[in-house]
Amino acid sequence: MEEYARDPCPYRIVDDCGGAFAMGCIGGGVFQAIKGFRNAPSGLNKRLIGSVAAIKTRSPVIAGNFAIWGGMFSTIDCTLVHIRKKEDPWNSIISGAATGGILAARNGIPAMAGSAIIGGVLLALIEGVGILFTRISADQFKNPSPPTEDPAALGDPVNNFTFGPSNNKHYQ
Amino acid sequence: MSDDYLRKPFSLAPPPTVDEPQPTATTNYTPATSTFSSAPVSPYLNYDSRFLQQAQPEFIFPEGANKQRGRFELAFSQIGTSVMIGGGIGGLAGVYNGIKVTNALNQTGKLRRTQLINHVMKQGSGTANTLGTLAVLYSACGVLLQYVRDQDDNVNTIIAGSATGLLYKSTAGLRKCALGGAIGLGISSLYCLYLLAQESNNTNSSPKFL
Repeated sequence: MEEYARDPCPYRIVDDCGGAFAMGCIGGGVFQAIKGFRNAPSGLNKRLIGSVAAIKTRSPVIAGNFAIWGGMFSTIDCTLVHIRKKEDPWNSIISGAATGGILAARNGIPAMAGSAIIGGVLLALIEGVGILFTRISADQFKNPSPPTEDPAALGDPVNNFTFGPSNNKHYQ
Repeated sequence: MSDDYLRKPFSLAPPPTVDEPQPTATTNYTPATSTFSSAPVSPYLNYDSRFLQQAQPEFIFPEGANKQRGRFELAFSQIGTSVMIGGGIGGLAGVYNGIKVTNALNQTGKLRRTQLINHVMKQGSGTANTLGTLAVLYSACGVLLQYVRDQDDNVNTIIAGSATGLLYKSTAGLRKCALGGAIGLGISSLYCLYLLAQESNNTNSSPKFL
């Protein structure tokens, strides 16, 4: 599989939206398949039919919700990058909270606040875990301390080594 | 730096300046020793600046790799594009339908506004979900085919398009399933014909498989 790198900012929105939709579609498909299988009337054939019906009706809706979340999150993230001129974990946390709030806008102020808190905490958790993993893995790549250097080993400072004809000039 | 030094034959000697009508001071290579004529220059600085290619980006590809992005790299942006286009079209249709319905029912004010929002959300998400699901199916088929056949060409596009149509209508009965497959086959072959026509028009540009 080729290296998958993220696109630069305005195009990242489309990419994230698509990635979230694909994730929701496939993940929601698996989830709804199990759920439809369990909730259907007994008999393997009926259970399979129920599973397929659940996938058909529910998984595009889940995928659409995922896509809206991803697209909105990425849009706010890119806007924050543009405004604040830096990319840090706070961007993700703020845009997570803002996304949660905006998407619950039609359910009233208390629901907005709740969703915003949930979104912010979720994104803070994700960013925190990412930073934690970076810290842990950074210890493995720590360089050994270099040996102390003795300047006497470099030789006579008067007759120093040059490439050109040996007239002791400094070239730069 | 202009890039016309790339087209000239390479030589370590300073190039002849007779056939150049343009101002020679900016484009021509001047050896470093001529500018600092008396003092000897460090050997690290005394080389032809044409070794430094700055006019075009340089990429190093692994052995046997082609320059195109594979289907997996394109899949997410394709899905996202189709979701967004679907949302836009569905939203516009929702505005139209909402205005029509609210006019017919004589709804005004807050009621009309809420009904309009309802229509836009419902139709927009519906169309976006349909188009996005189609794109997911198409991309999944395309990526699978690319890994199975180990190449990326028009045949993949056609097979993936037909498979998408067949899969999407697979539960609606044999006739509709066949119809969906035929529609997918038709659209993907039209697209491939368009690509081939474009490729024969200008042979230089490499085609980009969607």
